[in-house]
Amino acid sequence: MVSRRSFLKDVTGVVAAAGAIHPLLNWAAENAPVVIPGEDGLIVRSARFLDLEMPSEFFDSWITPAPHFFVRNHMHEPSTLDAETWELKVSGEVERPLTLNFADLVRMEPHTVTNTLECAGNGRAFQRPQVPGVQWQKGAVGTARFSGPRLHDILQRAGVKPTGKHVMFHGLDEVPGKVPPFIRSIPIEKASDEDTLIAMRMNGEPLTRHHGFPARALVPGWIGAASCKWLSEIKVLDKEFDGNFMKPGYRMPNHPLKPGDPLNLDDTHPLTALSVKSIIAGPIDNSNSPSHSIHIHGAAWAGEADIVKVEISTDGGATWEAAQLGRDHAKYAWRLWSHNWKAPKAGDYTILSRATDSQGRTQPEIAEWNPSGYLYNAFDRVKIHVEA
Amino acid sequence: MWKRSLRVAFAVSLLALCSLPLLRAQSPELPAGPAQAKVTTACTECHETRIISQQRLSKAAWTKEVDKMIKWGAVVDPADRDSFIEYLSVNFPPDKAPEQMPRVVAAKKR
Repeated sequence: MVSRRSFLKDVTGVVAAAGAIHPLLNWAAENAPVVIPGEDGLIVRSARFLDLEMPSEFFDSWITPAPHFFVRNHMHEPSTLDAETWELKVSGEVERPLTLNFADLVRMEPHTVTNTLECAGNGRAFQRPQVPGVQWQKGAVGTARFSGPRLHDILQRAGVKPTGKHVMFHGLDEVPGKVPPFIRSIPIEKASDEDTLIAMRMNGEPLTRHHGFPARALVPGWIGAASCKWLSEIKVLDKEFDGNFMKPGYRMPNHPLKPGDPLNLDDTHPLTALSVKSIIAGPIDNSNSPSHSIHIHGAAWAGEADIVKVEISTDGGATWEAAQLGRDHAKYAWRLWSHNWKAPKAGDYTILSRATDSQGRTQPEIAEWNPSGYLYNAFDRVKIHVEA
Repeated sequence: MWKRSLRVAFAVSLLALCSLPLLRAQSPELPAGPAQAKVTTACTECHETRIISQQRLSKAAWTKEVDKMIKWGAVVDPADRDSFIEYLSVNFPPDKAPEQMPRVVAAKKR
């Protein structure tokens, strides 16, 4: 029989050994392969809540496969998601409140929109001074074909009253602690746009859990946060929703701020469409090139506008050369671009990219600073060393 | 003798089981310091440690974050608030190098 004393002695010995191996366990936790079903190769910004970033090498595909598509969760994912019992309520300033189920939505006429979805905080890590939030670099963005009924058709079925001015989305995100629920609204004009969808499919497949199964809003050209996932309620309001994720969250100052200036909330507006932006996917920052022939490539997008030009500078912005835009394009989708450059001699170079859109906006050298690091869109830049 | 080996094996299994949540959560430990344990308990109730350790903020910015999280339900004894802010601003200041993040490994490749 094992005496309590001898058992405790053994356990004590093992626990003492554990003290020694504890750093090892922590090393293992830091370096353990992170396996998240359905995802592949993404950078883990957070495993709980799930925030996954697309690394630069996946900017090589005009359509981003779901396993490579960034994931941004504000809260815990719904613990149960069952298409059989799922319901979507439509209420508020409507003549006929509705409760739709999965089959009801599947029966409605589907539409497909190829959309570049970008988190408003993409690029936040490059803001100086630094700001709090998920430290996204280049890849909180991706392009997919989203399909589902038009929100307009659903709203028409419910009959929007003349008092209905904004449309609120509420998802099934599970709220921890006293965190305000993730609820946002968009103006009725955008909600009624023929391209605004209640998406049920992504790249021809049902939405995956991480992307909002069974249905999500898809507000094309706008910040990702507008496209609420795990949608459970659509409510038509007479004014903009005023919860945390509309105010103070996801707002931009009406006038540029100096870095470090506080935000006066009365002098702000909600974020809507994305900015004009390009990123360099290759060469990789701080890489060596054994060859003087450099293939520079990346992607550029502009929310509701079209990309008309991407330019590259290899001399610190003194001169610019036009990059070649990729063949694939769609109204709200990014353009891939590439440029072949011959380095004149061995040495260190900084490659810059800047995009211009159909609204005449050009990517600025320095992004407009704001306390949450939204819509970062400064020239992208990578440093390379060209070997002799 | 074999009984003792069994007992040690049992104790090792117990330890392994206790360590499992650490590995499963795939959430690295926060740096050592006076408030490490309390910060870990209060913050990881809702989210993992990387959300904290990737931030590079001034003391003023950390103060705002701690107060926001207390408002949002983080259980922090008012007497510990200042030590939380001190710990976070010492360990995750603006001039620290960016954190290196792991990649997701596809399930099928394992």
